[in-house]
Amino acid sequence: MPSLAEQILTYAQHKHLSAQTLARWQGWTAEDQAELLTLAEELQLSENHLRDFVDWLEEIVLRDGGTLGGVLSRPEVHRSLNTKLSRNDKLKAVKDALRRLRYPQLSQLEDDLRAAIKALDLGGRVRVSFPPAFEGDEVTVAITAHNVKELDDSVTRLRLRLADGTLQRMFDLLDQG
Amino acid sequence: MELYKPSEILIERGEEDAPVVQRTLARLPEVPVRIVDKGWERGGTESNGTDSFAAGKRRLLFTRQHSTFLEHCPAGTPGLVCCNYLVVSLISNCPMDCSYCFLQEYLANNPTLKVFTNVADLLHEVAAVVDRQPWRQFRIGTGELSDSLALDALLGFSADLVPFFAERKNALLELKTKSDCVAGLLTLDPKDRVVVSWSLTPPEIVEREEHGTAAFCARLEAARRVQMAGYKLGFHFDPLIEYPGWEEGYRDTVARVFSTIDPRRVAWVSLGSLRLTPALRVTMRRRFPQTRLLSGEQVPCADGKWRTFQALRVKMYRALAGWLREAAPQVPLYMCMETAPVWEKVFGRAPTCDKEVARALVAPNLANHEKSGSPSTDSA
Repeated sequence: MPSLAEQILTYAQHKHLSAQTLARWQGWTAEDQAELLTLAEELQLSENHLRDFVDWLEEIVLRDGGTLGGVLSRPEVHRSLNTKLSRNDKLKAVKDALRRLRYPQLSQLEDDLRAAIKALDLGGRVRVSFPPAFEGDEVTVAITAHNVKELDDSVTRLRLRLADGTLQRMFDLLDQG
Repeated sequence: MELYKPSEILIERGEEDAPVVQRTLARLPEVPVRIVDKGWERGGTESNGTDSFAAGKRRLLFTRQHSTFLEHCPAGTPGLVCCNYLVVSLISNCPMDCSYCFLQEYLANNPTLKVFTNVADLLHEVAAVVDRQPWRQFRIGTGELSDSLALDALLGFSADLVPFFAERKNALLELKTKSDCVAGLLTLDPKDRVVVSWSLTPPEIVEREEHGTAAFCARLEAARRVQMAGYKLGFHFDPLIEYPGWEEGYRDTVARVFSTIDPRRVAWVSLGSLRLTPALRVTMRRRFPQTRLLSGEQVPCADGKWRTFQALRVKMYRALAGWLREAAPQVPLYMCMETAPVWEKVFGRAPTCDKEVARALVAPNLANHEKSGSPSTDSA
């Protein structure tokens, strides 16, 4: 049975990991290294994904305390790992769970805005989108219509939401966080 | 704060007799001295360690500035509100070592701590711009590529700069520092033309992230002393750092500042979110693996720099502005490197042009300025 160090090296060679990423991984405690190896093998993490994981894990531990392995053992991460999804979907779910731990306030804002848009009930032909990471002020409201009636229907829904103040709620969330 | 002591002093051939060199040699007789040829630093930094930037800080080179001294503040970026600030640099690199310092990236290939010997050229250059345009008002700072005062006990530049600016009715000098090295200022008369400003973060951030700087309380005590000596003060809550407990930390910081100094003699206060280029983030992670500053909720912005995401950033700015307005209602506030929409959210309106910001900062502090027509705060 190869040692943990050998297994990590083999994985790094197989995935062509950069020397910097490998060195950071090797700098962790043996327990933490092993936790990440299990995750990396399960999700077949490439350099970019692995670097994101290493960055986020280290940043979470520096901010919140605890251990890197402890973060990976959190229920929300484990839940995502133990779902019956394809490897790519599982990677997406685990990464999302970890990102929520790394960016709790930003994630909360995303959730609140998603809920606020859902509450608007604007129908399937109106799409509301925000700038990347909500940086900037512009909210884009796009209407797709095949005829005047569809357009009128969407505009009417928007007018109603403007009048009853629910659209304002979306801008307030963006403004106040 | 401990007096900076380099591992070696390097003097460019021909500069041995410069007054600043002689002053420094007299104050550091035990430090080895080497005469080097012009352009020595381009031949390699001679660092055999892994942290060439830190090694560069410990080597003090006296050289001449061959290009112009007076420049626009490089913070001016398209899309962001600018305050039309001008900078002059007599020193390149800084004896302090803040984990977030942009110099780590900006001077990565040129880290030797350089002191320019031709101070007279700087004064001549500034006079040529300022004196020929008496109708304009200028705000000029020395704290761009180094701390303005950290080396003053060694170099004594304030004795050249303060009297020069004290005699000019249309220019303010800003000395920006994280030090408590103000002894050289106390015997000079600034005649209301010099603002000594401190970058402030809560004490826990100072201790953890601002290595080699003066403690928070030492900075405040230094501010009190220079205010008593006739200087105006400035404060820069820049970088504004989001961390668990930031509200309490910054509220307490503002309260401590304004219970120590007289707000009526504060020229301005700025706010500026922590901003990091991707390359600086990599450098920080390498040089300061224990820094917590990378654990904030930062996102990439339009100018390529990472900042705390806008809604949280605005919340922080509003909180700070509120506490500052309460403590010092008359003090002009401004933001550094922010967009007009963020200005609107925080202050209720955005400036119509860069000159408006500059005028709001300079005009009240040059109250005795002899106006000829309408003064304008313009760039060089």
